[in-house]
Amino acid sequence: MAWLGLPCGPEDLLLEPDGAPLRLDKAFSWEAPLAIHGMMQMVIANAVAGDPYPIDTLFLFMANMAWNSAMNTAGTMDMLTARDPASGEHCIPHIIDADAFASEMVAYADLVLPDTTYLERWDCISVLDRPISDADGVADAIRQPIVLPDRDVRPFQDVLLDLGARLGLPGMVTPEGAARYPGGYAEYLANHERAPGIGPLAGFRGADGTAIGRGAANPRQLAAYVANGCFWRHELAPGQRFYRFANAGYLEFAVRMGFVPDAAPIVLQIYSEPLQRFRLAAEGHGPVQPPHELRARVLAAFDPLPVWRPPLGDASAGAASFPLHALTQRPMIMYHSWGAQNAWLRQILGRNDLYMAGATARAHGLADGDWAWLVGARRRIKLRIRTMEGVQADTVWTWNAVGKRAGAWGLAADAPEVRQGFLLNHLIGEHLPAVGGGRRFANADPVTGQAAWFDQRARLERCAPGESGPTEPQFPSLDGLRHVTTGPVAPARTRP
Amino acid sequence: MTGLARHRGAARPALVIDLDICVGCHACSVACKGASAGAPLADGVWPNQVFGYEIDAGDGGAGEGGRTVYVPRMCQHCEHPDCVTVCPTGASFQRAADGIVLIDAASCIGCRLCAWACPYGAREYDEAAGVMRKCTLCTERRDAVGAQTLPVCVSTCPSGARHFGDLGDPASAVSELVRRRGGFALLAEAGYGPAVRYLPPRPRAPVAPVTAAPDIAAVGGVERWLHHALAR
Repeated sequence: MAWLGLPCGPEDLLLEPDGAPLRLDKAFSWEAPLAIHGMMQMVIANAVAGDPYPIDTLFLFMANMAWNSAMNTAGTMDMLTARDPASGEHCIPHIIDADAFASEMVAYADLVLPDTTYLERWDCISVLDRPISDADGVADAIRQPIVLPDRDVRPFQDVLLDLGARLGLPGMVTPEGAARYPGGYAEYLANHERAPGIGPLAGFRGADGTAIGRGAANPRQLAAYVANGCFWRHELAPGQRFYRFANAGYLEFAVRMGFVPDAAPIVLQIYSEPLQRFRLAAEGHGPVQPPHELRARVLAAFDPLPVWRPPLGDASAGAASFPLHALTQRPMIMYHSWGAQNAWLRQILGRNDLYMAGATARAHGLADGDWAWLVGARRRIKLRIRTMEGVQADTVWTWNAVGKRAGAWGLAADAPEVRQGFLLNHLIGEHLPAVGGGRRFANADPVTGQAAWFDQRARLERCAPGESGPTEPQFPSLDGLRHVTTGPVAPARTRP
Repeated sequence: MTGLARHRGAARPALVIDLDICVGCHACSVACKGASAGAPLADGVWPNQVFGYEIDAGDGGAGEGGRTVYVPRMCQHCEHPDCVTVCPTGASFQRAADGIVLIDAASCIGCRLCAWACPYGAREYDEAAGVMRKCTLCTERRDAVGAQTLPVCVSTCPSGARHFGDLGDPASAVSELVRRRGGFALLAEAGYGPAVRYLPPRPRAPVAPVTAAPDIAAVGGVERWLHHALAR
């Protein structure tokens, strides 16, 4: 039933024989059956709690889990250094982090794998993952290295292929045990096939470079992309551009390209059969059924019709004392530079404030530029408010990831990002309040596992007289904690 | 003090900026800094800047009528540029062929008279180089690479809010766009004849009031509810 990672019923879940989650993040378990994006936000909390199991090593790539990528940031920082009281050992014994920048997370790593920037490596913007396609054509793209690294770094994809070969993972080694892609990611891009003839790049396939979508690996494929401006695009015939869910010409093309397994019309289900299959399981039908204690939750969440319900956290006692919705969103300004420390972007947006309608500020006795506390059920944060109209009166918001920890990102200890920036993340719990029996579910959608970043409730309080910046909480500078040893990388070895 | 060209060509290369879809991301500003008009721009020098304004629809800006509009602002490459005529050295000049206003850094003495004269705040003093800087429409790049090359602020704009073309040609795509969308010039009444055109934000459709989730039983079952929902 399932294809491309999309579960269609209980039999597609990833479960232990006793029904417990197979994955550490509990994605594709009864707690989040359709979590097709995974539940990265739960990995650290679950590992530290040993629920569903403890881990030996946490391996992160460009996920700043000690800062803006985590819910409950201060709590997560404590978890990363937490020790088991019985053994005295760290709850997460080893942490490996790959990053191109000295982010907050890097300071918590036992082993750092320094990554290159985008300008120093090959990359692939594949039709398999958020391609550059447009409405009238299929397109994908590559990046090529345009400068050589001037420091001790390696492209993370090369490192993964190297690690995979050293560990002898399937697909990463030849039958003789040698590295399958000794040429690194560039070699992988041109030669890897996820299905016969279908690889990361859809253009310039086949021996002569003219096949599209499906075709033999072409050793000159990357050169063809470079010669074509680093992208490939196939324009759909006019007859393929409309009603594609039922357009035979388009669907047959989509099968040839590997987008869909067959050319049957794609029916948009307003009454969703997959959702109903999970509900039937919760009602006691079929061979794979949820554990008893989860049945009511699955039954309520898997309504086959489109419905809307208030956020789960709103049902908890005390929600009424937090009348504001608090949102955090990534600045548009940062979307064209993933390294937020572009010197020019710092000049445009070096601090963040909490924005709200003028009437909301006045109702709290606040004026534009005042300092205030934003209080959630578990913590409070101190920040500066700005008024802006066009915001709903019961909603406040800020820019995400502008605030930085002192000593991270090579910033001065008194940088505006440190002293005047802040994270809303401290207020946002990774768990919902405990339900009967003390069980705590992820603060996430019970169907998709989507982290509930936008369900946060809060209350605004004026600062006491004389109270103002810097923002709070502030944390000890990472400068004093850094202890880095570097050494040569051992050459890849082949399996005996 | 500096004369304007006596005989102007018909070409009028200009930016056309769609205020309806600019999201205020500043990609244009950052790309401009990167391209840096042929020479590095000192800290604080921003030839292209993006300003955000809140629209007051009569209710103090709150409510449905309220919205934020972003307005990128840069040199308007005026037909009658006072920044050129006040220049004591001839460093500021208007190209005869296409009316683009440029600065010859070699003869600029950094006196800043042009900054005082410009009604658009488009001229920036570069402390490091001791000369004035401004938008050049990437003329140095386009002259070198080819006229079909776009200014970097246009080619980088992720929302496609910036267009570039010849407003001197009434049949050009940008001329058609300005006609169709009612493009306007900033501060036209001041009489400088700015070349840049802004496309006004489109009026917003009224937002339907948020209502509670329907009680399917009360509206007569799934079939009637679907009929009602899909008919909206």
